[in-house]
Amino acid sequence: MNGLLQQDVNQETFVLNLGPQHPATHGVLRVKLVMDGEYIVEAEPVLGYIHRMHEKMGENRTWAQFLPNCGRMDYLSALSYNHGYVAAVERAAGIEVPERAEYLRVITVELNRISSHLLWFGAFVLDLGGFTPLLYAFDDREQILDLLESVTGSRLTYCYFRFGGVYNDIDDAFITGTRAFIKRLRKRLPMYDALVTKNIILIKRLKDIGPISKDMARRYGATGPVARGSGINFDVRKHEPYSVYSEFDFDIPVYEEGDSMARYMVRMDEMEQSMRIIEQALDKLPEGEIQPKKAIKLVKPEKGDYYHAVEAARGSFGVRIVSDGSNSAYRLKLRSPTYSNLSLFGEASRGMLLPDALALMGSLDLVIPEIDR
Amino acid sequence: MLLAKIKEALNSLYEDIQETTEAPEAPESEKAAAEAAPEEETAPAPEAQAEEGSPPPAEEAETEKAEEPVPPPGPQETDYKAKGYHLDVDLPPEKVVAAAEILNRENFFIEAITGVDWIDDQQLEVVYDFNHFDELCRVVVRSRLDRSNPEIPTISHIYQGANWHERETHDFFGITFTGHPNLEPLLLPEDADFHPLLKDFKA
Amino acid sequence: MGTQDVQPPIIHFSSLDKILSLGRANSLWPMTFGLACCAIEMMATGASRFDLARFGAEVFRPSPRQCDVMIVAGTISKKMEPAVKTLYDQMPEPKWVIAMGNCAISGGPFVFEGQYGIVEGADKFLPVDIYIPGCPPRPEALIEGILELEEKVTGFRRWPRVEAK
Repeated sequence: MNGLLQQDVNQETFVLNLGPQHPATHGVLRVKLVMDGEYIVEAEPVLGYIHRMHEKMGENRTWAQFLPNCGRMDYLSALSYNHGYVAAVERAAGIEVPERAEYLRVITVELNRISSHLLWFGAFVLDLGGFTPLLYAFDDREQILDLLESVTGSRLTYCYFRFGGVYNDIDDAFITGTRAFIKRLRKRLPMYDALVTKNIILIKRLKDIGPISKDMARRYGATGPVARGSGINFDVRKHEPYSVYSEFDFDIPVYEEGDSMARYMVRMDEMEQSMRIIEQALDKLPEGEIQPKKAIKLVKPEKGDYYHAVEAARGSFGVRIVSDGSNSAYRLKLRSPTYSNLSLFGEASRGMLLPDALALMGSLDLVIPEIDR
Repeated sequence: MLLAKIKEALNSLYEDIQETTEAPEAPESEKAAAEAAPEEETAPAPEAQAEEGSPPPAEEAETEKAEEPVPPPGPQETDYKAKGYHLDVDLPPEKVVAAAEILNRENFFIEAITGVDWIDDQQLEVVYDFNHFDELCRVVVRSRLDRSNPEIPTISHIYQGANWHERETHDFFGITFTGHPNLEPLLLPEDADFHPLLKDFKA
Repeated sequence: MGTQDVQPPIIHFSSLDKILSLGRANSLWPMTFGLACCAIEMMATGASRFDLARFGAEVFRPSPRQCDVMIVAGTISKKMEPAVKTLYDQMPEPKWVIAMGNCAISGGPFVFEGQYGIVEGADKFLPVDIYIPGCPPRPEALIEGILELEEKVTGFRRWPRVEAK
């Protein structure tokens, strides 16, 4: 009889709800888990708890009135989203951007990328149980936020880009502040390396956990550090250069293993590469206007559909505009990278232990409002 | 070159449509004959103004259609700098799965699936965006569906990422993807029965 | 505690009440209820530069059974509303609610004609005590909101007020 009981207990699965409110700071994500003890049999993410109707607002707002929305989709790298939308409309309407404005865009976007990766780093290690790196990372991040606030006026949800350029110029204080910050971060990154990356607990938690193969990434459309951690050399800045990225010399970190440790290392290396881009951009910064000479009174793209992709901190962010020649979009489709990245969670987490699945979820770098739009 | 290779491969889907390229010219000649008829009718009967409201605009539209060069059916290469993608493929709904299989063989990845509501034409359009990791080549596959009964076969057995994209398109437009494992609401509440991005949606 | 009907106690204590409310104000435990962008500013307030721990509100508890104040930070969507109400009901008395950010106050930038997805403000279904405007509000604004709540709890303002010069 004992044997029968053992059998029943082993075959019993239960449904666990990783509810919309949970302490990991990803946002409101609900995951329905069918568990067999501590092992996950099936995982299904449930979305829509922060669906804020951005695509409907794209049709209800004029082209310029939609600009504040861009920053609120993925608030951690809001400038990349600004860039994607503004570049798509510029491509559709044929607006030229002056060179100084392009350089300012690149500098601010790369600073934003570093701040997004720093917050990811803090929150990821917090998920795994270590509280201290969060405070260090936030301290570094506050320095970037000070710099960006002096230029754009906001700390988090930026609305800095305009059609044809940017709206505010930088001054010498910004340039000296950025150079000082880069020097400081270059000293801090080896500290994070020694404290966190080489920590045996982190290595045991991340190495060989959550493998994602190249084919899985391709079938789900995963881009960004998730794809680069699986050996796919794909970065929109090098693959399909836009703005002035073709003038800078930087590498794309690619790791072959495909586990959570590889995705972690990709993002740590990307911070260094972003700093290289910022230094080169500051050295080469040309003088000039930051808005086109002929002021753009009304933006009216021609009828048709257009697509533009940029490399956000989480992957390839694409904007598809269907225009009917009026002063608002007929259809605005926002292709968010985390949407495709999260869709592979159901297949990738089968058979894993629950804490390992949470490490996998953290390494995917989720921002839920970007998924729900 | 990947673009040429994929254009060649997708062209094979159009073979049965290309055989009937003779057919479109016959209706055009019929339209030309019809142009002569309304001209005689517009002279008399001012009381038939309401009916004649329709033939003269139709006549103008037909003359415009005759002047525009009709592109031959097949994958169209587009101006990348102006539009942002390389190949535009317009297919009827039943051929979309075959196109997805060809693209899968060539190792493309799925970027997005979305819908567009053309309420004036009473059609819904499904737009698929594909891209390639190794060589830059953006392929856009489109398909127009009837607005009153929008159905199209799913590609989620070829590209698993399409699962969520199709659920979202169903949420927003009400397009049914036949063969989809679970077409439940993804972004809207579970019991939602409205489709917000349709042009005649009232909250 | 907002606009709820609480039965007045039969026996009134005076000094004990004052001491208890001082103790409650000094150690308000917030619930981590970050829904959207305002959550990041809430995290920044709890982090090293703006240190919310100085005011006693350091312990962000994810479980509603262990906290006093629910900081609604972010947009409440119609799908999320039942969950928010459940969490509020699970909190033990005495409890307070702070609506942080424009979305929690009145729907924020997402209100438009024909909107179908969000609840226009937390006070549509919760009794809100303090409103903190901003999109997102600065960490200093959140600290001022916590201090205002302390004033509401104890009846007097315990920290200096910052005057514009």
